[in-house]
Amino acid sequence: MHRMITLLMAVGVGVWAQDGSTKENWPAYGGQNSAWRYSALDQVNVENVSQLAAAWVFQTGDNDGGLQSTPLVMDGVMYVSTSHNRVFALDAVTGKRLWSYIYELPKTFTTFYGPWNRGVAVADGRLVMGTLDNHVVALDAKSGRQLWKVNVEDANQCGCNITAAPLVARGKVIVGVTGGDSAHRGYLNAFDLKTGRHLWRFWTIPGPGEKGHETWPGDSWKFGGGATWMTGSFDETLGMVYWAVGNPAADFYGGNRKGDNLFTDSIVALDVETGRLKWHFQQVPHDVWDWDAAYENVLVDLPVNGQVRKLLINVSKGGYTYVLDRTNGAFVTAWPVAKNINWISGVGPKGELLGRNEPVVGRSKLICPSIGGGRSWNHGAWSPKAGLFFTTGIEWCQEVAAQAETPVEGKTYFGGTFKLVKTPDGKSGGHLAAYNPMTGKAVWQYDYKYPLLASVLATAGDLIFTGDAEGDFFALDAGTGKKLWRFNTGSGHRGSSITYAVNGRQYIATPSGWGSAVAGLMQQFWPETEQFPNGSAVFVFALPEQKR
Amino acid sequence: MKWMAGVVMAPVLLLADPQGSLGTSAVEARGDQLFTQGCAVGYCHGTAGSAARSPRLRGRTFEKDYLVKVIRDGIPNSAMPAWGDRLTDDDIGALVVYIQSLAAASVEVPAPAETASLAPPVAVKESELAPEVRQGRELFYDPQRLQRCSNCHRLQGIGTPVSVDLAKLSKQQLAADAVNALRYGRPRRVRGLVLKDGDRFPAVVVERGAAETRVYDLKGVPPVLRSLQSTEIQGLQQESGWRHAQAVKGYTTDDLKAVWAFVNWAAQR
Repeated sequence: MHRMITLLMAVGVGVWAQDGSTKENWPAYGGQNSAWRYSALDQVNVENVSQLAAAWVFQTGDNDGGLQSTPLVMDGVMYVSTSHNRVFALDAVTGKRLWSYIYELPKTFTTFYGPWNRGVAVADGRLVMGTLDNHVVALDAKSGRQLWKVNVEDANQCGCNITAAPLVARGKVIVGVTGGDSAHRGYLNAFDLKTGRHLWRFWTIPGPGEKGHETWPGDSWKFGGGATWMTGSFDETLGMVYWAVGNPAADFYGGNRKGDNLFTDSIVALDVETGRLKWHFQQVPHDVWDWDAAYENVLVDLPVNGQVRKLLINVSKGGYTYVLDRTNGAFVTAWPVAKNINWISGVGPKGELLGRNEPVVGRSKLICPSIGGGRSWNHGAWSPKAGLFFTTGIEWCQEVAAQAETPVEGKTYFGGTFKLVKTPDGKSGGHLAAYNPMTGKAVWQYDYKYPLLASVLATAGDLIFTGDAEGDFFALDAGTGKKLWRFNTGSGHRGSSITYAVNGRQYIATPSGWGSAVAGLMQQFWPETEQFPNGSAVFVFALPEQKR
Repeated sequence: MKWMAGVVMAPVLLLADPQGSLGTSAVEARGDQLFTQGCAVGYCHGTAGSAARSPRLRGRTFEKDYLVKVIRDGIPNSAMPAWGDRLTDDDIGALVVYIQSLAAASVEVPAPAETASLAPPVAVKESELAPEVRQGRELFYDPQRLQRCSNCHRLQGIGTPVSVDLAKLSKQQLAADAVNALRYGRPRRVRGLVLKDGDRFPAVVVERGAAETRVYDLKGVPPVLRSLQSTEIQGLQQESGWRHAQAVKGYTTDDLKAVWAFVNWAAQR
């Protein structure tokens, strides 16, 4: 109990306004729909984490693309999805398989944005998942029986699909789409959880007559990307869904889309009931670097100049963390998670970009960070107890050359090529740091020779968990960054760890399995990573029975 | 080191012409250009085949026939798309020559500027379609409309096969003036399904079993394939109230004429 008191004193009333912590269950992709990836469980803590031992391991059998998902746990059952849209329901205490589901994929189609899946959603006895061929399916969470299936758009036409976990809010399945590096017009859809019927669509690129359409010349709006390829957040009190919209296409060439290109690289807030736009904040007008704003939106209530405000934290691919007022989209602050950033010289007091440094056609130019991002999509964590936001960052650059390209519907549309190179100071690699979200000041930083590509988990046991490219899954002291425990799972980490409890025993679970586009890019820079083994398993840890 | 054996496999002309002064150099240069524009981009094979999400091609040997097949047809259920609809045979041949030239390439990758020319973009094969057919095709699959023909008709490998396979229509059906049928048709296969929870909706039955019935629910757009347990179903009625007019309400008469011209064209292929 004393831990809870400490927690409340640390951040004042804010914690009551928006409690995004998990407890026995891990019910949603980001923990709760406020995306904290923070658990109030503290049985495993800084004092005893060194005793943490493997409880069980589940091998999924499909290594292609590694294992990038976030398992969910509801009432003692773990649900985990793998590449090629396989879903397993497991006894969360023993790892015993309760049921499995193998999605029937068409015999021929191209999985340009695949074959991985990053998670499912579970609510009201139903499990929902987006698929590699751009369908959404719902299963009975008790049996795995398919309840409904709907084709969002033909994958052979759009070249797009769904790899992210859906968000469920007020009985609606809200689900994004890939396609941001293809000639495709992005959207976000809501379906009825019970029937699968379509409820609303928000086009991330406005059509003729809609606000923002004027930021796209000619037909460029039809092919402008704006994917919604990760999972959004939801504020029940405000009734707003928050989603981060990806880059405009072509990625590096903006010659045929002159204008701001709304709502790419934007955070959009939508009315959950109608999908109508409530506000937007564009991080990068007319992006020519592939700086998606696709990542998580962490909903926190924190004092700004002495007054508690409802905020949203979003780390962008360009390497800046944005803090916005989530009631109206007002810019609060922005700060970098990587040192090597040269595509701008900074972010101004109103959120405007300073000193743009754009790629040029037909000539190589050094741009930092690389296309892999100042951070990748792997999720950060907010600990209200520590009052800190924990996120990874990557130091790397690229030589990039833009090239003119003509869009062909559903085909790749990048507008350039690149080669990864070292940072000007000769040091490259990854780090995980503990930031004050209002100042961007790091309390500590943990350095690693490769990018850290797994999500971060924070707990009330004052622990931070994540994994690395060489297979180590480890725990750091949330206050100091000191490594307290490690376990090598035999394959690198690209998924998202969680924690849950059954019958009073706390478990820590992590996917293990190296893969993904960014892991592939690393081969350009670190050739030895080509030999890093794929894998696809869930490792679960707990304190030995007598240690609890 | 074992990859260096690939030098032996490389075309003789390339070995004889390391400086690229012979005719092959033009072919290789074309392959280089195509590779830069279509294969090196983004998360694909990386600059000069240096690897990204897709495999490294640099310093590796591949048989010519294998490369031709993979470039032309793609690799099913992988990230490798088929390029046969966008590249000529000559272009595919040029790509093969270029990729095989990478077998002897050093590990050091050139900067992208050296290969990114200002040449025209990847060639797109000119469509041989009549304007009306082309317009009909766009309307049939139009991704900007939520309600479009391909929601319920699969044609040329695209769309959801909820309803009639238009490619299998008889000559008489194809020859008929279809606009009225598209406007006022009352498809008999659409039934009225009533569930015990009070929900009722127009449905196309896909499979009816003792324990489970699978139907397409047409109440909204796009149709939803639902698997209903027999215990959930109250009854199935002949009349659903659904009319084909609902499915084409966003199309003008001229649009429908163009769509039908496309259907005719596609059915005859």
